[in-house]
Amino acid sequence: MRDEDTYADLTALFASEDRALEAKPFTDDVMGRVRAQGRMRKLLLAVTGIAGALLAASQLPKLLADTVGLDTSITTSIVQAQTDMTALASANPLWLGVAAVVGLSLFAVAAMERA
Amino acid sequence: MRTDPDLAADAARGSESALAELVRRHQARVRGMARRLTGTASDGDDIAQATFLTAWQKIGTYAGGTFAAWICTICYREFLQVRRRQKMEIEFDETAEIIPFGRTQAETANDQMDLSRALEKLPEAQRICVTLCVAASLSHREAAEATGWPLGTIKSHVNRGVAALRKHLAATEVA
Repeated sequence: MRDEDTYADLTALFASEDRALEAKPFTDDVMGRVRAQGRMRKLLLAVTGIAGALLAASQLPKLLADTVGLDTSITTSIVQAQTDMTALASANPLWLGVAAVVGLSLFAVAAMERA
Repeated sequence: MRTDPDLAADAARGSESALAELVRRHQARVRGMARRLTGTASDGDDIAQATFLTAWQKIGTYAGGTFAAWICTICYREFLQVRRRQKMEIEFDETAEIIPFGRTQAETANDQMDLSRALEKLPEAQRICVTLCVAASLSHREAAEATGWPLGTIKSHVNRGVAALRKHLAATEVA
């Protein structure tokens, strides 16, 4: 006789208790949270993508100034604005803090990504 | 009807409907298990929810075998995590009353089946083994893998737990 056979009656009692639990509200709750997590993940991935695209785009003026005959006054002013922003960020550590929090949040989302 | 491994494979490819079907199939077992481990319906359902969310994140790691054993193992680990966190909070707040997973008055007032009451009277190790093997129908080997305890320990806790459970139930019937 298997060990499990000695308590089959108790297993049946527990199973009848479990069957009384309503499945639908619980399943809907779980699936709602799964979908919410999915939406949040997509949103954060989109934000990361857009930030990456903006970063790449911000490098274009320099590149264009070197390779294409674009009006130098435009590229110079954009490059100057970027330099000013970088100087502002390094002068005020708050900006570095904000950047660190955003970076950590994105890292956390990437770490939570489904296996 | 599609098998659990088929549904798990679909869920691993991102199918939410496959996951929903797995939740529907296994929610009773997992909720029952979590409620018995914690001793309350609300804590148990929170752990059961966390179990399915973790399962969704890790579904790609399911490598065949009994899906019930896999999901129950996740449930047991979620229970341990919550218990550890709760224990830390209690240790941190020295004035807190030390009643982990304590029952609220309303919950205590509710009529509970004799079986649940008898289960709560067991020592924790026996309660865990009886919950895994008797209530959730895991084999002794699966329970040993889930808990990390030796097979012999599981068997002896189950045997003692079942004997104590029968004694409590018999006493209740006589009373």
